[in-house]
Amino acid sequence: MNEAGNLYIDLQKNLIKDGPKFLSHTLIVKEHKAYLKPTISAMLFCVVYIVIGFFLISLASYVYYDSAKLDLAIFLGGFGIAIGTFGVSLIQPFLKNASFDKSTGLFENSSDRNVKLARIVSLQINNKVVLRKQALNYSCFELNMLTKSGRRINIINHNNLPQLTADAEKLADFLQVELSDHCRQIIL
Amino acid sequence: MRKIQLLLSMLILAFTSNALAAEADASGFTRVIGQISTAVDSFFSNYLYGFVEIVFFSYPVAGTKFPLIVGWLLLAAIIFTLYFGFVQIRRARLAIDIVRGKYTDPDSKDEGEVSHFQALATALSGTVGLGNIAGVGVALAIGGPGATFWMILCGLLGMASKFCECTLGVKYRTILPSGAVSGGPMYYLRDGLAEIGLAGLGKVLAVGFALMCILGSFGGGNMFQANQAHSMLTYAFDVPAEYGLITGLVLATLVFSVIIGGMPSIASVTEKVVPWMAVIYVGMSVVVIGANLEQVGPAFSAIIDGAFTGAGVAGGFIGALIQGLKRATFSNEAGIGSAAIAHSAVKTKEPVTEGLVSLLEPFIDTVIICTMTALVITIAGLNTAPFDGAGLTGVTLTAASFTATSEIFKYALAIAVILFAFSTMISWSYYGLKAWTYLFGESKSTEILFKVIFCVFVVVGATIQFGAVIDFSDAAIFAMSIFNIIGLYLLMPIVKRELKLFIAKIDSGEVKKFD
Repeated sequence: MNEAGNLYIDLQKNLIKDGPKFLSHTLIVKEHKAYLKPTISAMLFCVVYIVIGFFLISLASYVYYDSAKLDLAIFLGGFGIAIGTFGVSLIQPFLKNASFDKSTGLFENSSDRNVKLARIVSLQINNKVVLRKQALNYSCFELNMLTKSGRRINIINHNNLPQLTADAEKLADFLQVELSDHCRQIIL
Repeated sequence: MRKIQLLLSMLILAFTSNALAAEADASGFTRVIGQISTAVDSFFSNYLYGFVEIVFFSYPVAGTKFPLIVGWLLLAAIIFTLYFGFVQIRRARLAIDIVRGKYTDPDSKDEGEVSHFQALATALSGTVGLGNIAGVGVALAIGGPGATFWMILCGLLGMASKFCECTLGVKYRTILPSGAVSGGPMYYLRDGLAEIGLAGLGKVLAVGFALMCILGSFGGGNMFQANQAHSMLTYAFDVPAEYGLITGLVLATLVFSVIIGGMPSIASVTEKVVPWMAVIYVGMSVVVIGANLEQVGPAFSAIIDGAFTGAGVAGGFIGALIQGLKRATFSNEAGIGSAAIAHSAVKTKEPVTEGLVSLLEPFIDTVIICTMTALVITIAGLNTAPFDGAGLTGVTLTAASFTATSEIFKYALAIAVILFAFSTMISWSYYGLKAWTYLFGESKSTEILFKVIFCVFVVVGATIQFGAVIDFSDAAIFAMSIFNIIGLYLLMPIVKRELKLFIAKIDSGEVKKFD
């Protein structure tokens, strides 16, 4: 727990409720830049939906031109569009270009406001259990950062702790900030 | 692991010998698919029918064969009802109050907690599915309208069975170091019976249950779902039955991505969409019933008359009773033990509260929703005597009955059936995996092996026709109850004690009610 004036920040609190049950990103450090690279397995899971979506849309076109069954074509096409769109929406977070650039002095990602690297105070590793209602629960981990204004931003979120720890150490070293482990015992 | 490999090789060898024999004179896609279907069916007939005959061992009653397993489930539900003092009636109000959150402190709700209402909604979305649509279609096609009465009775009595098993599911759940919760009959049979000095028996029952649960997850929780999803497409859009292979492959790929990848988003979408599909299904039923209000009275008369006369049903009223009880059990899963696996993941300090919440499921699932489906079918009048299942049956009977009021319903029903089938397969993959890891341990390779086999069965289920496979699906699910109910009889005093303690806490004010 940190206390600064009236500001109380719970560093143990997770920032994201869900998380994938696989390694989604790895950190790459190149000279003045550190950035997140999506893994092939993460991309494949998303591509499955896009492929099925395209397959169903193609099948709908074939059915319509071959047998003029409009209702079946609409049904297949509708499902295809829904599944394909879902796949595209899934893949977007994996493509987000989160980077720490020393040449510009900024942290950038597609979902948060840019942060000056000089304002990053520390990094934290948090753990959580993702509760699936109709599937196995599993552990998941977050790498979060804290800024001088007390804002917390998620950087990485997946279930491969060794890789996340290695990436966190690499990033802390790159940014020259403190890294702390806030994993706790979770009793359900 | 070596044992699994040996078992699988034997199964694959036996299956391929059937498939190769059938493929000898194959020509064209349709014929090949037809022959695969025949091969799968004959594989189940040749190698697994003995299992079906054992589970559905019948005794002649009033000139018809009465499966002892049906009597086993009915007797258990009656005994639990009496033993717990009609808990489903006397504690119904308490159960509703728990669901409404009246016993949950609004200020102390932990982050990420699954509320009882969410737990009920989740369990319902797992329970409300093809059992309510296709299952009722089968029951009425073979048992006539009278089967509905017995379904309702089974639903009411089954509430006590579900209360008992779900309470035990939470009480004896195991929390693994990773934080994952493991619960269900395997655990309460093993640990609960060990607690009362029957450790040996507990282990045997737990292993027996786990084996049957795996078979059930491949059968009723998988092949039946895929099969009926494709049947619905065939009915609604004239898709040739042989194209089940494509339906199966698409469904299997989606199931595979969810159960292998653990992609959070798709599971969340399914969890959000399926309850709405249940609402839409109920809405459609209400519209059909409302549009034919004057026929509701005669439909109820047909249900009551058919229940006791069994007119047009093979085996008379006993035949109607058998079909009603079988399909109600298949739908609400009371006494089977599967619900205890799902409910064990809830976050609660009082196991009995989850038992009380769960007892509402058979009521909503069977007494309300199955009855609505039965009314729609009876009102439509497409299900006529003799009730031998030779005409429309299963999902096609239900779909045709809805379509009799409006053509548009068959499209909505097609979407609902596919989503229900998909979500049920996901749920049962979870149940099956729990049983699988109980038997073979938690390791990545054993889990992936189960998941791959599960997905193969999705394709098989969508490809094959009705027959021995469906008998097997039924038998595997009912067989789970043999092991589960023996344990429930032995552990029911513990449940009764839990209930008494909880009621005492409410009376003393230790458990507060928040208005």
